[in-house]
Amino acid sequence: MSVPKYSTGMAKVVNSSLYQHTLGAAVESRIGRIILLASVPLLWLIMLHVGPIYQMLKISLLSHYPVQPGVESHFTLANYAIFFQESIYFTPLIKSFIFATGATAFTLVVVYPVAYYVAKIVKPQGRSKALLLLLVPFWAGELIRTFSVIMLLANRGAVNVLLREIGLIDRPIPMLYTSFSLGFGLVYLICLYMLLPLYSAIEKIPSPLLDAAADLGAGPFTRFRRIILPLSRDGIVSGCSLVFLTCIGVFATPMLLGGPNTVLFPETISSFFHGASDKWPVGAAFALIMLVTALIAAAIFMRLVGGSKRRAI
Amino acid sequence: MNKIIANRRTALKVFGAGTALLAAPYIIRPRPAWAASGVLNVTTYDKFLPQEFLDKFQKDNDIEVRIRLTDDQGKQYNLLTAEGANPSTDIVTVAGHRYSQFIKSNLLQPLDTGKIANWKNLNPAYQDAPWARVDGNLWGLPILAGYEGLARNIDYVPEAPSWEVMFDPQYKGQTSYIVSDFMTIVMQYLGYDGDFVTYVDKPDVAQKATNEARDFLIKHKDMVRKYYDAGSEVQQMFINEDIYLGHSWSGPAAKLIMDGHPIKLSVPKEGTFGFCYTLNVVNNAPNAENAYKLFNAILESPEVGAAMTRQSGYSSTINGVGDVLEERERMASTLPQEEVERIIFFSSVNRDMKNEMIDRATAEVKAA
Repeated sequence: MSVPKYSTGMAKVVNSSLYQHTLGAAVESRIGRIILLASVPLLWLIMLHVGPIYQMLKISLLSHYPVQPGVESHFTLANYAIFFQESIYFTPLIKSFIFATGATAFTLVVVYPVAYYVAKIVKPQGRSKALLLLLVPFWAGELIRTFSVIMLLANRGAVNVLLREIGLIDRPIPMLYTSFSLGFGLVYLICLYMLLPLYSAIEKIPSPLLDAAADLGAGPFTRFRRIILPLSRDGIVSGCSLVFLTCIGVFATPMLLGGPNTVLFPETISSFFHGASDKWPVGAAFALIMLVTALIAAAIFMRLVGGSKRRAI
Repeated sequence: MNKIIANRRTALKVFGAGTALLAAPYIIRPRPAWAASGVLNVTTYDKFLPQEFLDKFQKDNDIEVRIRLTDDQGKQYNLLTAEGANPSTDIVTVAGHRYSQFIKSNLLQPLDTGKIANWKNLNPAYQDAPWARVDGNLWGLPILAGYEGLARNIDYVPEAPSWEVMFDPQYKGQTSYIVSDFMTIVMQYLGYDGDFVTYVDKPDVAQKATNEARDFLIKHKDMVRKYYDAGSEVQQMFINEDIYLGHSWSGPAAKLIMDGHPIKLSVPKEGTFGFCYTLNVVNNAPNAENAYKLFNAILESPEVGAAMTRQSGYSSTINGVGDVLEERERMASTLPQEEVERIIFFSSVNRDMKNEMIDRATAEVKAA
């Protein structure tokens, strides 16, 4: 093995037997180098993504967790069975899916024109600035932005005060703690996940293609339907998948902005972890049920809208 | 994009940087509680321990107090149970009626009052209260007492002699409550035992009573603006006038009164439940001796108890606090005698049955 020239300290390390039999040996072959390069991201994935899900799976299959003195825990599927036996838990899951689907569709409709404007109407030299302006609110944390929505929509919030000041209303309109406030807050919080993939996809559409279509007599709607929409499909699929998966698992926003009729599945799951009784395994089972159903829904959507071609989110 | 060339140098550099990145949280993390001597880890509610008092305590004793906030007894219990024999906290804040659950799970150590020189400064009513002694031992230092009251905005709701006002159609969409807590109140309102004490070995009777309260709440769901969880939420809703009526722990409502908001807190004729928060030393606490130093410091002066009342809104358990509070502060946490007599302290009897049935009924109300 040829050893490159290093300073004295480094040479000691490189010439040591430990180095030569471990890292030194690994970097000699191309395969070894690739494994070495891949090891860190793999470790990251295992520790921060696969690990917690595995732990949740393990807890979901236990009869008791945390295990109290004098109690023995054993493996069981009963925690999963509870979901299918009790309709009260099925309702919040269905509500979550309906809500996430609606929020995704609404976000797409709202954000698409914005993304198109930035990608195609704004001059190339101004696009970075326009994007930066759109991203400014996202520099604040999720909770701060949620509380800003509360200050906006509360009975004594900015909107009601303004409407009262200009004489349009006598009594405040109850906007907060409703489906409207939850939808509004959620779209505001997650629109970034839709904006960036859409911008990226629309920006890549060649402008001469649109000019040619116009020259051949295609009106704005035809150009949108026949050229822009199909060519931005990748962005739509990616954006919708990201927004849908975020919406389905969102917890703090519905807790803060939602009302008595907007109790979603994550809140049901959290009640098993916060409740007085020993119910972590049921909560873990429900969390995995939500994860699997959400992934299946996203996969079906990607298959239907994204075509047979494999697409990355 | 530049292509990454996987030569030896790049591979080693990326591997080294990546490993350092992954290892950084372990290297730079704060020293764990069990490895630190001049430290005290306290799990408690927001605004229970005044910062000024903590600053003085830290300075006088050379002990760093690390506060971890909780807003729910169940969360605190679950986290402590999960940590098992190696707790990362020395003190927890347990409500007296939850003692049995914590003690049965071996999470607390008995309180040695001999180590608290200022124990005599605790109001005698709390020094050996019936609810405080379990299995022959005392388990915690009572710090703040409260009750579940009916809070109302007096600009819109002039009178509220009964819990019935929470279901009055003229306040539709303008009430709020914590479902699990209010369900026990509704059981009382409907003539049942909301504390389950009389339902020992009578699960059928208890289930029937719980189901009636659950169905009643579902029937009147349109009265509710929001189901809340934390005291700060109900405060915010009252301030924003999103609600005019609410079931509230006495602390958050009293705090609003102290701050000058047009809120009144009362105990309706059907009665309510009282509770007392205590600071408890955790079993296997790594810094138990420091915990006793904190307990002693809390009892040292009524000024500390007064500051706790001012911040949290709850009544102090320390002698002489009433003399230190201003008139407005005292009035905010005081009830007429006839209303005081309507308060029954939560019992620790039959808690498992109560938790099981109320948790389930709560989920049903929310899902309905």
